[in-house]
This record gives sequence, C-alpha cells and structure tokens, in this order.
Amino acid sequence: MLKIIIPTTMLIPLTWLSKPNMIWINSTTHSLLISLISLSYLNQFSDNSLNFSLLFFSDPLSAPLLALTTWLLPLMLTASQNHLSKETIARKKLYITMLTLLQLFLIMTFTATELIMFYILFEATLAPTLIIITRWGNQTERLNAGLYFLFYTLVGSLPLLIALLYIQNTTGSLNFLIAQYWVKPISTTWSNIFLWLACMMAFMVKMPLYGLHLWLPKAHVEAPIAGSMVLAAVLLKLGGYGMMRITVLLNPLTGQMAYPFLMLSLWGMIMTSSICLRQTDLKSLIAYSSVSHMALVIVAVLIQTPWSYMGATALMIAHGLTSSMLFCLANSNYERVHSRTMILARGLQTLLPLMAAWWLLASLANLALPPTINLLGELFVMMASFSWSNTTIALMGTNIIITALYSLYMLITTLRGKQTDHVKNIKPSFTRENALMALHLLPLLLLSLNPKIVLGPIH
Amino acid sequence: MKPPILITIMFTMVAGTTIVLTSSHWLTIWIGFEMNLLAIIPILMKKHNPRATEAATKYFLMQATASMLLMMGIIINLLHSGQWTMSKNTNPMASTMMTIALAMKLGLAPFHFWVPEVTQGIPMSSGLILLTWQKIAPLSILYQISPTINPNLLMPMAIASVLVGGWGGLNQTQLRKILAYSSIAHMGWMAAITPYNPTMMILNLMIYIIMTLTTFMLFMHSSSTTTSSLSQTWNKTPLTTALILALMMSLGGLPPLSGFTPKWMIIQELTKNEMITTPTLLATTALLNLYFYMRLTYATALTMFPSTNNMKMKWQFNTTKKMILLPPLTVLSTLLLPLTPLMSILD
Repeated sequence: MLKIIIPTTMLIPLTWLSKPNMIWINSTTHSLLISLISLSYLNQFSDNSLNFSLLFFSDPLSAPLLALTTWLLPLMLTASQNHLSKETIARKKLYITMLTLLQLFLIMTFTATELIMFYILFEATLAPTLIIITRWGNQTERLNAGLYFLFYTLVGSLPLLIALLYIQNTTGSLNFLIAQYWVKPISTTWSNIFLWLACMMAFMVKMPLYGLHLWLPKAHVEAPIAGSMVLAAVLLKLGGYGMMRITVLLNPLTGQMAYPFLMLSLWGMIMTSSICLRQTDLKSLIAYSSVSHMALVIVAVLIQTPWSYMGATALMIAHGLTSSMLFCLANSNYERVHSRTMILARGLQTLLPLMAAWWLLASLANLALPPTINLLGELFVMMASFSWSNTTIALMGTNIIITALYSLYMLITTLRGKQTDHVKNIKPSFTRENALMALHLLPLLLLSLNPKIVLGPIH
Repeated sequence: MKPPILITIMFTMVAGTTIVLTSSHWLTIWIGFEMNLLAIIPILMKKHNPRATEAATKYFLMQATASMLLMMGIIINLLHSGQWTMSKNTNPMASTMMTIALAMKLGLAPFHFWVPEVTQGIPMSSGLILLTWQKIAPLSILYQISPTINPNLLMPMAIASVLVGGWGGLNQTQLRKILAYSSIAHMGWMAAITPYNPTMMILNLMIYIIMTLTTFMLFMHSSSTTTSSLSQTWNKTPLTTALILALMMSLGGLPPLSGFTPKWMIIQELTKNEMITTPTLLATTALLNLYFYMRLTYATALTMFPSTNNMKMKWQFNTTKKMILLPPLTVLSTLLLPLTPLMSILD
C-alpha cells in the first residue's frame, strides 16, 4: 500500500518545488502514474483479500473505489486549470496541495483495516474539502455551504466514534478482518438500537439519506469544479463503503432497524428525481440526481443480499464516473457563460458539436442505458429489492422513468433549440476539456465489457 | 514594568505553582496558591486602565474565596483524619469542599462567570499566562485527590462547563473572550475524565496548553484582539493565516490534528467505564466550540482578498513581541496525532 501512499504524499513537495509553468504538467502526469499502480489491485483473489500489513488491506470492494479515487486526481487537476489561471502561483500550489492531501486521506480511508483509523481518516477528508469549497468557491453562499457540510457530517459521525470504541471494548478488536469473524449476533434491546443508529447515522448523512441531504446541494453547487468532482464521485461513496463494512458487525438487528431508512430512501429517490425536473440551476440538478442514485445504494446496502451488494458496488463506481463527468460538462458551460442557469446557455449543439456528443453520452449513462455498468447496478438493486418486497418495483420503475425524464430535460435544454444571443461568441472546446470527458467516459465504457471487477466481494 | 520587578514577580508566580506541585503538606499547598495569586495580580495589571483594575479585582476576589474554601476543606480533613498529608482525604465533606474550591479556581461551570470578564480586561500576554499556567496548579491538586472525588459532583460540573463553553462563545467577537470560553470548555473535558483516568487529564492539559500558547502568540503577532482585525492577517503575514486555520481546527478537535487526541482518549476511557451518554453529550456540545472556531477561520483564512472587508488596512511593522518557540509549538499543536501511542509514557 505504501507504493501508492508515499508517491501521493510526494506529490506535495513536487508541486511546491516545480517551476511555475510546470506545476500542472508535473502533478497531472505523476498522479496518472499513481493511478496506474492502483489498477494492479483490481486483480483480486477469490478466497480472501489482499492483506498488505496490519494497517492496510484491499478487497474486491475497496479496490475499485481505490482505482476510482486515484483516477480522479489527474482529472480534477485537468479540470481546474482554467478557473485557477488568474490566481497567484502560491494559491495554485495550495489548491493542488489540498487536492493531493484529500486524495491521500481518501486512499488511506478506503484501505484501512482498523475501524478507528478509518474513522480518523473519514473525518480528516472533511478539512481539505471544506477549505476547497469555502476558499475557492465563487458565490457568497459558499460559507454557509461549508458550514452545513462540516456540521452535518460531524454531528453524524461523533456517535460513530463512541459506538466504535464501545464495540472495541466488547468485541476486543476493531481490525475489520478479525472482527468479522468474532462478531456475535446482537438482539433487539434499546441500547443495541442506539448502537445501530450511532454506527449508521454517520454514513447515512454522508450518502446522503433523503431527510439529511440538505448539505449536498449547497456543497455541490458552491464548490469549484474539482471540489464538486471529488464530492460527487468519491466522498459520497465513503458513506456507502462505510455502511457495507459496518453492517457486518450489526446483524441481525439490521433486519428490523432498516425499515425507516428503507422507506426514506425509496421515497426520497422519487422526490429528489422529481425535484430535478424543476431545477433551473444546472449543478443543482446534477446534485439532486446524485442524491437519487445514492438512495438506491442505501436501499441495496440495507437489504443485505448478495445481488444487492453487487449492484451497490457497481452503482457506486458507475455513479462516480458519470456524476463527475456531468459536473465537468456543467463547468465547461459555466466557464463560458459564467452562470449556472440552464436556460442562459441553450442550443449548444450547433456551436460545440463534440461537447454535445459528450453531453449525450453522459446523460445516457446517467439514465442507465444498457450495457453500461449504471444499468447493471440499477438492475441488480431492482431485482434484489423486488425479491425483498414486491411493491418496491412500482417505486423503482417510477424512479427509472423520472431519471430518464430529467436527463433528457437537461440534454434538451442545454443542447437543442435556438441559441440565446449571448452564447454566439463563446470559445470553442479546448482539447483539455475533450480529453477530460474522454478520460471519464472511457473507463465507464470499458467496464461494461468486464463488469466483474466492479461487482464487489460476492461475485 | 521594570525588568528586575518583572523578574521577581514572575519568579514568585512560578515558585508558587512549583510549591503547589511539589508539596505533600496541605498547608504549603495553600501557601503556594496564595503566592501564585498575589504574584499574578501585578501581571494582570500591566496596563493601568480601569478595565484591568476591574479584571484583577474580580480575579483576586474569586481566587481568594476559592482559597478560603480550600482551607476549610483542609481543616475538615485535618479534623477527621488527624494529619496534614495528601494521602487520606476520605471525608466526603472535605473532598466536596476541595473539589468546589478547585472548580472555582479553574473556572468550571457554575463558577465560570469570572473567566471571560477577567480575560477580556487584561493584555494578551497576561491572558496567556492566566489561561495556561494558572491551570496547572489546581489541576495537579485535582489529580492528586482524584481517587476520592465524588463523580456525582464533578461530572455535572464538567458537562455544564462544556455546554457553557460552547454556547457562551457563540456570541463573541472579541478574541480574548473566545479563548476564555474555549478554556472553560476544555476544563470541562479535563474534569470529566479525572475521576476515571487522571492520566488522560494530564494529556489533555498538555495538549491544551500547547495549543493555547500557540493561539495566543499568533494573535499577539498580528496584534489583533477582535475577529475583524484578525481578518487582516493575510496582508501582514500570510503564513500566520494558514497557521491560524490549522490551529483553530486543532482546537476544535478535528481529526487528524492533535486536538483530536485528547478527545479521542477521553471518550475511550469513558466508554471503558461504561458511560455512553456522557461522552456523546460532551462530543456533541464540543461541536458548538468548533462553530465559533470555524467563524474565526472564515474571517482569517478563507475569505481573503479580493473579497471586501470593512477594516482599515494595518501598518506592516515587524512585531516586537516575544514569540517563544512559536514554530515548534505550532508543529506540536497540529501534527501530534500519529504519535498517540507515545502517551504510554505518561503512565
């Protein structure tokens, strides 16, 4: 694991010691090389996980997430070059340092064995994200957004710390590989109910669950492009990953405790998709669609069947790439028109045809078109929830329809129709932007050829 | 103040605390407290304005009352155990009086009302001494009598202190009052763990002293006493801006900075002692503290130029105040978390 952690740490001195015209080239190239190393972990054994040391391990659930995280850093750096071009060199280096630090904490979080270390790094990812959102966001609402983000997550996760320490006292160890064999079934007493709640609420806030999702549109909308990308693609998956790890310790109480959260997720899925149909702000639309997709993951994790876990993992990876790509596309609009309002930049297909192609492919992936892994994930989750309870098919089906509706709504509003007068002199697409979209889409399409690697620990 | 006088007074103050730390006879402990109190009064009054006089008077009255209560507890202890040493303090009345006296000296709720007003009335460097050095003596006595303290007395005081420290600081813009409320909250955390594992109290005290020293010195460096004047540090010393950001997050207890270590260890010890709601309550109300530290961070580091600011720009003089050991202290107050296993040396 050190072969990823030490190079990522060394990216920080690399940034500070590079010549000013080389900072982007250096950091992007080297982070791409690091992501190549992480791809080697996708070759997992079928009987156990890759155990590197007492501190780090990698199993078929965390390896795809690790690959996603390391793949995203060069993409974030590529996407940020334009909006940082007017800043002083020290501020640019500081931005890259924040992104690299966040990357480092995320890598260590996804591969931690000891659950307390997972917790500390889980919290540690908050600080660089907060700094990126509040310092480099564009509107005054970013201050409020940062505070909502920080405090929602912290209020959820402090009981998690106490619950983890309690489990360590009773079970003897919090090393995840050991604890899964030592765990005893927990019965339905009041204190166990609170233990279950304490363990799960942190991840529910992070996912986010429908009732606790207020921080997400604020944070996504106010963050700069790299912040939005990393928030949507990876930080939400921290919640899903954490839930999958911690439910191992919480059986069989999950069968009873899950009902309210399942209801909230199933209903919230529909509500947030419907809200997307009425959004005027492009980034806000993508943010709410993130909530909707993550609600599916919550349903999958709480049902706890093999197929639903496979679907949840596939959905997390697929949503990471798709959502990040949509934010990049929205940012390319924002950099030209300097507004996030959708109707201000209409009819872009005639002006930027290649970008329109990327928009089309991204929206098709978002609405889970076969044979992408988005479809695979949604299909598995739908089938698992149908077998759990037949009536959920109505809600899931409605959600798929509404997802298609808002994805097409987004496409039509931004691409088709007559252009507004003020977009006629926008700059054409940069090669950098086209490369960014291609690098997002290529893994997504290639994974549809071999989805086995993202299907998680059960396949 | 002329140097010889300052040296004498400082020496008396240090000697007072040292006498408290090293005595085994209750009377000399009391004498140490009194020496400390009398010596710090001139330091609190370095600037001769009515505000400083008021602050010094309030401090003196409060601490003198506490010392008298402590003396009463000592005498009752003498009456019931027949000897002056620190070993057997098993009389509940004596233990209660001593605990309350020490709580008054530390500024635990409900005896916290003097802390913000005294801290506000005195210059920054005196405030530094007030909030760090003056806590060592009472906490050392608390450490020594910890086996006999009634937890039913100390825990509500601790929880109330964390609550008061969090809520009270929310409406403040003056930096010294913010640090005073922060001190109340941290004392609450230390008092909470004392009946169960006093070693963690010492850990919390050490990390708290390091962080508060660094905070005070960074504020003195930019000569700022209010939040809005703190927002000019980006112009004076950009590095200080980043350091204040890291330090405020550390004070608030955010991982992975060192301010998280005492909170983690205290929660661990409390859970080992079968208390679950207390650490939950303490941890959640510590978030109130984090809110006003974040507000300071926003004003300092995260809303820089070109966002507008109402304050006039400051002259960029070189600072003349003494910053002792500022770089090592800054490093210690933010990066100590990976070294947590080292605290086994405290046992």
